[in-house]
Amino acid sequence: MLQMLSGVATTFSISILSFLLGFAIGIFLAFVRVYGSRPFRILIDGYEKVFRGIPELVMMLLFFFGVGFYMRFPFKIAFFSATFALGLRSAANQSQIFRGAIRGIGEEQMVAARSLGLSRLQSIIYVMIPQVFIFSTPGLGSEYALLIKDSSYAFVLPDIWEITVISIYLRKATMDTVTPYIASAFLYILLTFPIATLLDTWGSRKKKQLGL
Amino acid sequence: MECRNLWKLYGKITAVKDVSLKISEGEIKLIFGPSGSGKSTLLRCLAMLTTPTKGDVFLREECLTKPGVDLNKARARIGFVFQHIWLFHHLTALGNVELGLRRVLKLPKREAKKRSMQALSEVKMEKWANHYPAQLSGGQQQRVGIARALARNPDIILLDEPTSALDPELIGEVIDTLRDLAKMGTTMLIVSHEMPFAREVADEMIFYDEGAIVERGPPELFFTNPRSERAKTFMMRLIKRTRREQ
Repeated sequence: MLQMLSGVATTFSISILSFLLGFAIGIFLAFVRVYGSRPFRILIDGYEKVFRGIPELVMMLLFFFGVGFYMRFPFKIAFFSATFALGLRSAANQSQIFRGAIRGIGEEQMVAARSLGLSRLQSIIYVMIPQVFIFSTPGLGSEYALLIKDSSYAFVLPDIWEITVISIYLRKATMDTVTPYIASAFLYILLTFPIATLLDTWGSRKKKQLGL
Repeated sequence: MECRNLWKLYGKITAVKDVSLKISEGEIKLIFGPSGSGKSTLLRCLAMLTTPTKGDVFLREECLTKPGVDLNKARARIGFVFQHIWLFHHLTALGNVELGLRRVLKLPKREAKKRSMQALSEVKMEKWANHYPAQLSGGQQQRVGIARALARNPDIILLDEPTSALDPELIGEVIDTLRDLAKMGTTMLIVSHEMPFAREVADEMIFYDEGAIVERGPPELFFTNPRSERAKTFMMRLIKRTRREQ
């Protein structure tokens, strides 16, 4: 069971890191997509289509064996391949979440910010992003849950000890075909549910308070 | 602040048609006219929130319509109050006022707070500093909006119908605030249809219709005998409405 706990740590770190990677890239893509010029918009649409269109399992194999063949570091390390494979798809998802939020907030906040003399970038950082984040909490909650669950695909990569791999290993070691999987199912729920709910309730409370 | 032969076209629609206007330091000018006549667009052009199609805007000696002008710097010297207020939802009243001071003027936190509180007390909102916009009434929100524009000590404040989105019973407090600003000698260009207020504070009134200045002069001119027929009928309607409200 102690091995299970180290699996939780691995699953959790892959998910959080890929979530943050997706957040950073996603928010950048969303703002360029909304305010940028046409070629950028087409480019970003293409990025979203490609990364949302490839199955996560294929993506992990592609990163580890494909990209890793040419760039041994960091992609030959399964942990990083999994993180990038999840994070880059998450960027495509989060970009769409944020884009909806930017549209929902509307041009007014931007105009008001610019009227103070803030540059466009400052307006985005100090006025838009905090509100975009609050607006996006429900979507971000489910995106986070998706990452926790899809991190299980990393079981196809060698040398990565996340929850699913460990439950397979325990089944083989103990010949018990039920308990390890039930335990892993339980752990996945434990990892997804509280944080996603927390994010959601915090977001809706904040929205109510700010009248958004 | 001054604009010379200003034009703004949206496709085939002309929102601002060859407008020249000058507001000197300490002056208050008031623009009024039918809705959709391009008053807001004119104000936005003056603040360089939209780029004029033709013509020049000057702030003191500086031409803002020349290429290569740092517009962010220029906008920092122009206060703008919006019809629909547009406070930043995620910031408190204090946060709304502070933002420009902190990030544009780059004041240290304590200094920015001090000046923000001062601006808030000028609009009598210092007690509400830690409230979010959603927790304030429309009139209070607009007073914060005025404080936000005021805090940077701008060269001029442009006010785009600051009371027209408010409930009638909330207009008074905002007008009182504007009256206080007028007494302090703030340079202002106001779009408004609050006629008693206009008569009281305006150095010049400008009747604006179809993107152009139709008639201009001291308030008394409009209240006694406007020259143009359009101004006359518009004034009649406004005065009738004001009487009805009273």
